[in-house]
Amino acid sequence: MKKFACAVAGAASLLLCAGTQAAEPATGSLTIAQAAESTMLDVTRAAAGVDWYILGNINEQLLQPDPTLEVKNWLAEKWELTEVDGLPVIEIWLRKGVKFHHGGELTSSDMAFAHKRLANPDVSKWPHYQAKVDHIEIIDDHHFKIIFKEPDGTFIPGAGLMRLYGISEAYYTSHSEEEIQQRPDGTGPWKLVDRKVKEEFVLEAHDDYWNQEHRPGVKNLTIKIIPEDITRVAALQTGAVDWIDAVPPAMIEDVKKMDGIATTARPSGNNLFMSLPQYLDKLPGRNDNPFKDVRVRRAAALAVDMEGIIEHVLFGQAQRYTTTTPGSAAYDASVEPYPYDPQKAKQLMTEAGYANGFDVNCYNLITPREPNVKEYGEAFYAYLGQVGIRCKLIGEEYAPWLARNNRSREPQNDGILTHMWGHGVVADPGTPWSGHMHCYAPGEGWGSYSHYCDPEMDAMVKEQATVMDPADRIPLLKRIGKKKYEDVAGGITTYVPLVTFAWREDKVDYKPWPWMGFWRKLQEIGIKH
Amino acid sequence: MLNYLIKRILQGVISIIGASAIIFAISRLDDPTLLLLPIDATPEMVENLRQRLGLDLPIVQQYLIFLGNALQGDFGNSYRWEQPALQLILDRLPATLELAFAGLVFALALAIPFGVLSAVYRDSWFDNFAKLFAMLGQAMPNFWVGLLLILFVSVNLGWLPAFGREGFDSLIMPAIALGWYPVAAMTRMLRSTMLDVLDSDHVRMARAIGVPNRVVVWKYALRNAAVPLVTMLGIYFANMLSGAFVVEVIFAWPGMGRMVVEAMFARDFPLLQVGVLFSAILFVVVNLLVDLSYGVLDPRIRHD
Amino acid sequence: MTDPSRAAGPQTAGHPADPLAPSAITRMLRHVRLIRAGKVPWVAGGMLLLLVFCALFADLIMPWDPTALNLGKALKPPIWQDGSVSGHLLGTDNLGRDILSRIIQGAQVTLEVGLYAIVLSGGIGALMGMLSAYFGGVVDAVIMRLVDIQMSIPSIALALVLAAALSPGMSTVIVVIVLSYWTWYARIVRGEVLSLRERDFVKLARVAGCSTPVILWRHILPNVVNTLLVLASLQLGSVIIFEATLSFLGLGVQSPQMSWGLMLNDARPYMTRAWWPITLPGIAIMIVCLAANVFGDWMRDTLDPKRRQL
Repeated sequence: MKKFACAVAGAASLLLCAGTQAAEPATGSLTIAQAAESTMLDVTRAAAGVDWYILGNINEQLLQPDPTLEVKNWLAEKWELTEVDGLPVIEIWLRKGVKFHHGGELTSSDMAFAHKRLANPDVSKWPHYQAKVDHIEIIDDHHFKIIFKEPDGTFIPGAGLMRLYGISEAYYTSHSEEEIQQRPDGTGPWKLVDRKVKEEFVLEAHDDYWNQEHRPGVKNLTIKIIPEDITRVAALQTGAVDWIDAVPPAMIEDVKKMDGIATTARPSGNNLFMSLPQYLDKLPGRNDNPFKDVRVRRAAALAVDMEGIIEHVLFGQAQRYTTTTPGSAAYDASVEPYPYDPQKAKQLMTEAGYANGFDVNCYNLITPREPNVKEYGEAFYAYLGQVGIRCKLIGEEYAPWLARNNRSREPQNDGILTHMWGHGVVADPGTPWSGHMHCYAPGEGWGSYSHYCDPEMDAMVKEQATVMDPADRIPLLKRIGKKKYEDVAGGITTYVPLVTFAWREDKVDYKPWPWMGFWRKLQEIGIKH
Repeated sequence: MLNYLIKRILQGVISIIGASAIIFAISRLDDPTLLLLPIDATPEMVENLRQRLGLDLPIVQQYLIFLGNALQGDFGNSYRWEQPALQLILDRLPATLELAFAGLVFALALAIPFGVLSAVYRDSWFDNFAKLFAMLGQAMPNFWVGLLLILFVSVNLGWLPAFGREGFDSLIMPAIALGWYPVAAMTRMLRSTMLDVLDSDHVRMARAIGVPNRVVVWKYALRNAAVPLVTMLGIYFANMLSGAFVVEVIFAWPGMGRMVVEAMFARDFPLLQVGVLFSAILFVVVNLLVDLSYGVLDPRIRHD
Repeated sequence: MTDPSRAAGPQTAGHPADPLAPSAITRMLRHVRLIRAGKVPWVAGGMLLLLVFCALFADLIMPWDPTALNLGKALKPPIWQDGSVSGHLLGTDNLGRDILSRIIQGAQVTLEVGLYAIVLSGGIGALMGMLSAYFGGVVDAVIMRLVDIQMSIPSIALALVLAAALSPGMSTVIVVIVLSYWTWYARIVRGEVLSLRERDFVKLARVAGCSTPVILWRHILPNVVNTLLVLASLQLGSVIIFEATLSFLGLGVQSPQMSWGLMLNDARPYMTRAWWPITLPGIAIMIVCLAANVFGDWMRDTLDPKRRQL
């Protein structure tokens, strides 16, 4: 019967046909565990990265990266960037037959609704991402245009991934905000059927999921929340759960040695760097600011044995990076990280006139937003001391740290600051670079967490914000990346944390998928037969 | 008696309202908006959020709104969860009560034999052991007791689960950590009251007329000596509720304490406020009950 | 009658701190008539002196720089165990820092927090207690209501709110401790002053036209000094535990400052690999608390024997 239906619906490709055959509704159950718990389950109101651990399985965008990090047309079957009256227009042909969890098919009017909702500051945490879109013009149910008021460089593929989620207008308008976040609707491979705060999420495979090639191989998936590292690992070991995320760095070796356990490590979606206070004329207690001299910035970059820190402090659970990371539009494999070379660093310090070194405040983030981030900071700052950049170490908890790295809040950063995000992993670095490499410009949206100020860089950052066509955009981003590297602009890039997943090899069939850089997407998890 | 009751209840209400004002005022010293928005949020978005949360109003007005809503049972929505804060706390309350109760049972199970026997066998090796135990109990922070239990009993021996709340097994260690200090305090208290009672005339009399020692100790003496201990039980229970803040964090116990600690790190003020206020209310209510139970348990005491 | 909630004193981390209740040991010792004025608990006193010595001369006696990292020497066990490295008597932590040196430096924080907290809570509490008892009426009612309000908020809960608002740190710890303990001093001092107020020498001073501050300072304060000393010495042990608890929760002293509670928190992730970082700082806390409690009991019995009955 199925084959027949396929053949009749001539539009369906052969691939789809084969897929349909393979995609009998999944059966069986798996229980897995995650360390962190998503709180807000509505793509418009969610702000924390952790929220996407669940949302990434429920909601989908027009474009998404596949496991090789290549951006693929996803809810969009096809798209085109054109220009009308000097302003960009993106024309989109929506995929047909995309079904919502709670009924109905995805149409252009749902996408227009998504734009309106995302642009509304009263319900959205992301209105700034829609700010340059004027409106959405619906042509038919599966064809629409995004009309811009001004160019938005980071909107396009490889960038903000079109920043529109497929959400059901009918569902969103007929349910309260409370109901929406208790039972979010979407087009993704998983449907949320139950949730107990601080305990678990219960997901069910979406039988009508459009993507026949990449879909779950199990019907019921229970995600337990187990924040304590030792318990989570023990739960995997005893078989209470079959898959865990975030194996703690200190226990990686133990887990790898366990019988029947497979592991894999992936970049976590974050990136760390050390922001240097280049923007100040004077450091506290001094009449000058040594970091204005590029030689001092380079010396700082050369002074630290990042390989050693990664091995001993982070237990190997990190990758170095320079401009951006693989998978990002601006990734440039030819730019190597600064080596550990304290001799050269001291020489640069002497050339810059700081042979005797100098004192500086060093603000270390002590809340474990990433594993061992406090220890990494302590080690990093200790290395700086060895070439004469003597840190007065100040520990800061997450909330005050956020205020310090935000230029519109007091107190301001007057020293070296442990920093994260800001270099665009997986996606496009345009937005983070606008935030931390452009001079701070109150009210204009530039440099809102920047401790760097250079007119040449400002011009380049401004330019990329308006270049939408990937053919022009990518070379430009690479040029900025090169300059950033040479000038040690926007801080010293240190590492991308890796997150390790572990699962029972005999039972679980798991293929890691990225999603917005958060690798918890359970697109292809199933039971081994 | 009735006057006393009314006076105590009034005092309790004043305490709770005062506490709510203090907690409210302190939590308005910090601005949580940065934590609730993406890092690249624009200043307009921050301002919009402040207005929606009512943080732009004068603090007194904010407090009056809070108080008015609170009287109707509405303590606002958690910033992070966007769900009623009170409900989030109430959902976690049974786990916390279970833990505190288990801690109390553990403490009594040790303190009663310890206290009675060390009074009866005064200056014996057992007495010395009990005293040493009491001194140690006072000198070890409960979180460290918890860590040592996890280290030795879970990690090294593998006997009990280290964390979570699944079945009786997982309750044992948190209850011990929580009950550790009260064991010491209760043992001391029971020992000293037992000594007094054993010295008293009517116990001597009972012994003189040939009542067996076992009966004298465990029936007559303990019954009298236990009165102060029983009246203190409520206080111990209330204290264990606040001790649960730390113990729940260590053992990942899904209770109210852990939720409030997380709310503090997230600057989720509505949730933090309700959690703290709730423990204050519990404390005041338990104290009141204890106070009133005095008269019932010990007829010699009358509230005038 | 005694109000049991009053008798419970400030609660530290769920410990019903009733330091005024005589410990079992004191009771026992009293019975065998060992404790007399002048019979000093040498061991306990010695341990406290050692703490003070460590705190004052930390820089001289620490074998290593407590903040110096040596990643190649991370998590090495104490000297008596296989795999140790020479020079690190108590082993190293996850960044290769010397644990003994860190414990010595931690003594500084412990003592500093303890002293500030005791002096401030004692000072404020005593003043409030004196004012409350001496003036009575509205002043008394207001102060006692404040005490009630204060006591209804569990200390840890108060610490959470304060830490969220003020940012965690040593000063927040001190504020929390002072807020939690002043009520205890205030209540007891108030009780004492209520009876002193009716004594002849106070009445005489009033008749002679002495001003209120003079009466409080010259005539009343000297008579409560003993009580204050006893309360302060009894407070030390629970302050140490309280500070450790707050720092452990991340509400107290923050890295790079060092405290024993913070060391325990840092050691948690490595618990399965190394027992020493999670045990040794705890033992330091335990020993100092034990010493402080024994010493406090002795102070009470020596200076203010009537409190034994409390």
